[in-house]
Amino acid sequence: MTENEKAARQKKIAHVIMWIVLLVLFICFIAPFFLVVINVFKTKADTTSNPLALIGAHGFTMKNFPDAMKKMNFWTVFGNSAIITVSSTILTIAVSSMAAFVIVRNQRWKFCTFIFSLMIASMVIPFQVLMVPLVSVYGGTLGVLNHRLTLILMHVGFSVSMAMFMFHGAIRTNIPLELEEAATIDGCSRWQTYWKIVFPLLKPTVATVAIINAMAYWNDYLLPSLVLTKKELYTIPIATQAFYGTYSTDIGLVMAALLLAMLPILILYVFLQRYIVQGVTAGAVKG
Amino acid sequence: MKKAIALMLALVMTLALAACGGGSGSGGGSSKPAGETLTIFNSKMEIQSQMEEMAKQYSETKGVPVEVYYSSDTVAAHMATKYASNDPYAIAMVDAKDVYSLGAEHAADLSGEQWVGDTTQAISVDGKVLGFPVCVEARGVIYNADAIKAVTGKDFDPESIKTTADFQALINDLIAGGMAAPTGVMKEDWSLAAHFLAEVYELQDDPDAFIAGIKDGSIKLADDEVYNALMDTFDVLKENNYAKDAAISAERELTEQKLAEGEIAFMFGGNWDWDVINAYDYSENMGMMPVPSALSSANTKLVGGGSKYFYVDNGVSEELQQKAKDFLNWLVYEADGQDFLVNQCNLVPAYSNITLAVGNPLGSSVKAYADKGALIGNYNYLPDDHYAKCGAIFQKYLAGQIDRAGLAEEITAYWATAEVGAH
Amino acid sequence: MKQNTLSYKVKQYLMFAGPGTILFFCVVIIPFIYGVYLTFTSWDGVSATKPWVGLTNYAAAFADKDYWAALGRTAIYSVFAVVLINVLSFFLAYLVTSGVKGQNFFRSGFFVPNLIGGIVLGYVWKFVFNRAFVALGSAISGGTAPSILSTPSGAMLALIIVSVWQYAGYMMLIYVAGFMSVSEDVKEASSIDGCTASQTMWNVTVPLMRASFVQCLFLSITRCFVVYDVNLSLTKGEPFGSSVMAAMHVYNQAFTYKNYGLGQAEALILFLVCAIVGVTQVMIGKRGEVEA
Repeated sequence: MTENEKAARQKKIAHVIMWIVLLVLFICFIAPFFLVVINVFKTKADTTSNPLALIGAHGFTMKNFPDAMKKMNFWTVFGNSAIITVSSTILTIAVSSMAAFVIVRNQRWKFCTFIFSLMIASMVIPFQVLMVPLVSVYGGTLGVLNHRLTLILMHVGFSVSMAMFMFHGAIRTNIPLELEEAATIDGCSRWQTYWKIVFPLLKPTVATVAIINAMAYWNDYLLPSLVLTKKELYTIPIATQAFYGTYSTDIGLVMAALLLAMLPILILYVFLQRYIVQGVTAGAVKG
Repeated sequence: MKKAIALMLALVMTLALAACGGGSGSGGGSSKPAGETLTIFNSKMEIQSQMEEMAKQYSETKGVPVEVYYSSDTVAAHMATKYASNDPYAIAMVDAKDVYSLGAEHAADLSGEQWVGDTTQAISVDGKVLGFPVCVEARGVIYNADAIKAVTGKDFDPESIKTTADFQALINDLIAGGMAAPTGVMKEDWSLAAHFLAEVYELQDDPDAFIAGIKDGSIKLADDEVYNALMDTFDVLKENNYAKDAAISAERELTEQKLAEGEIAFMFGGNWDWDVINAYDYSENMGMMPVPSALSSANTKLVGGGSKYFYVDNGVSEELQQKAKDFLNWLVYEADGQDFLVNQCNLVPAYSNITLAVGNPLGSSVKAYADKGALIGNYNYLPDDHYAKCGAIFQKYLAGQIDRAGLAEEITAYWATAEVGAH
Repeated sequence: MKQNTLSYKVKQYLMFAGPGTILFFCVVIIPFIYGVYLTFTSWDGVSATKPWVGLTNYAAAFADKDYWAALGRTAIYSVFAVVLINVLSFFLAYLVTSGVKGQNFFRSGFFVPNLIGGIVLGYVWKFVFNRAFVALGSAISGGTAPSILSTPSGAMLALIIVSVWQYAGYMMLIYVAGFMSVSEDVKEASSIDGCTASQTMWNVTVPLMRASFVQCLFLSITRCFVVYDVNLSLTKGEPFGSSVMAAMHVYNQAFTYKNYGLGQAEALILFLVCAIVGVTQVMIGKRGEVEA
């Protein structure tokens, strides 16, 4: 008993130390946001002359929010961003997890290895290399720009390799072949096996891929700015670009827009995190 | 799980439909006037909201739908993607050098337009007028007269400062009077190289010959009279810089705030700086004066001219090109257009028929110099990488890593491989 | 058996991976091939004519000293950033899966930097370095304190700090998933076998997380090599052009200096370097995995 008590106390002390370390790191990570939050409620003059003051000499102001919202046409661009982010994310998950599944299960087939390597290598291509050729093909030749669907499909095309890469790892290490064999014996087709047996077990990876991609789509500037050039189709990052230019930056508006744009994705993250946390704790084979 | 998948699929379908609907429905705007939209690319961020407002007004009063676009990307990169996707703007605002590089192929001939006769700043390539000057911008030393008066007790007369020695004497007075550091220096590469260093070429009798001389070694930059005269003044600005110990990280916003609020009295800049200054509690009496120097031919003149240019794209329909030309005429000849340029956007007009007074102090200084013919023209043919590469070299000088001879040496080395633009 | 015939495999492939493969080829491979073609031209980016110049651009790329300097700088930056990102994120993942109070809250907190796009993030940090730290430093020292962005090594350090700050939470997420996927049974079994906590960690958990390591290293290497957004908004290549990374040089070459073909050729070289490093790393990682 005393041995156990001692161990328990040691564990408790370790936890307290870990908690303190976490808190310190957390403060370092969050400090810039604190600065953003205090400065967004100041006038430009106060932000420039005294960025550290909690309240500026000109007093507390909410002006940056309505200004930013008006300039970026907030509700329209918010809607656009939401549609594009949600559709692209769901499609990416479906398309890339399926691709990963077939590639993992056909590892001996040279063709799959080839596609896998090609996709991995493509992740390194700097986007600037593809930018002009991409718009030449889809704008100049095919004329399909300025449709949300075009952007959604392009998003999927660009992120399929990385998402596939993550699912590939998860399927290979965590999904035992025996499970699928059992399902096949029970009379499931490959398609059913995948969606009923394999995909549910990928939940933590799905949540991870979802949050990573949703975030990337939500914040993406370069690709949307090339594909969607009509005002009514603008997304949040395109609409806020006028806040910073080559010669000057209106940091108050930038910060206000930043806080407005961050909120939905933060909520999504908190929501999805539960699935990441759940994990496959008890082990899939047992269940 | 089955339910979740069904739900997901349903969601994808709905969103995809919504996406398609939204994309193709672009022609169905209800309140917009009919006809092709006149698209305008604006590359002057500080007037974007005024441009948007103007587009609304113009659409209503003229019945021509107008949309204004802005990109935070560089002008050249943005135009490259627009041409690659075969989706050009009807009117694009670019820098003077872009008119030379893009114009021959993409700009419509505007030689027949009435405004050509009312400006001296239009850009012609191969005998055709291609560039419509949006405004006049000039460079010089910005001063805060109120701040100077508060220290010296005397009204500040910019005309009294001609030479570097005059300038140094006043600075000494200001320091003696309690202003710790009377100047500010912008460390941005465009300010150092494209604006200040460029004056070394622009103040020569023949800039082309001067650059050719540097290239072939017949002219030694380190021994050049103009270079040394300007650098003497730059040294005064540099020595008395409020951020002398941290010159390379001085923030433009902070420098301009100090100037506006009178903590410092001088900064090298241009009338565009007003858009930054007016966000602060600025002093009433500010203005611009020529860069003081030993050069009697130049120390009474600002350097500048047309800065941003509109060109009409020759790839859009004839009808749209005509609308674009009408728009340019509206800017120059109609009261609303003139009001937009001068009062809304705070720009100095490049047209002699526009008599509206410029509201902001820096702009009115520039207008005063322009009206009396005291502007030395811009040299628009510097290579595209000049500002970045020479800016980096000039920053080393500002940080005290190289001396004046070293600066001249590195700039000469830059010119060994660089070529001025065709003109 | 029918499962081994080629037509069965092709059918399976098309059913599962068809959409992904098609989209991938349409938006990545086709433009890429066209992009390679452009490296053999002296196109300026806007003109309608694209004169064929053969290998001239590659010769010019190999002779471009600024480019190789930028590439070398990028390699140095990447080494520091990748090591720090992975050490920190693994450590964070360990802490937030150890069962301490409020671990979900911490997990969200560390991830928050990722919720901002690179460009805005750079501006926020520039504000922190140039205004907040300077204001703080000036208040303490009484003069105008220099920002760390004003010296070449300081600017480099700032870029590394911001990259670590940005990606640590992201990689943490992958490591967390890795920790989670190591089943409790295995850990229990090892502790019953008499392993201490740290032995379990290093001999059982870490080897089983190899996939996470391979992923995180690959992602951080490839991202660091093509860093652009943060570079642009945080340092813009300053001071003295000392913090111009490879991607920024390529971008300037293609668009600002209007040598599109040359910029594209340099980008292609950057791509090759990066692909070799990244793929080698994955290959080594995979080989080890089989052995383990």
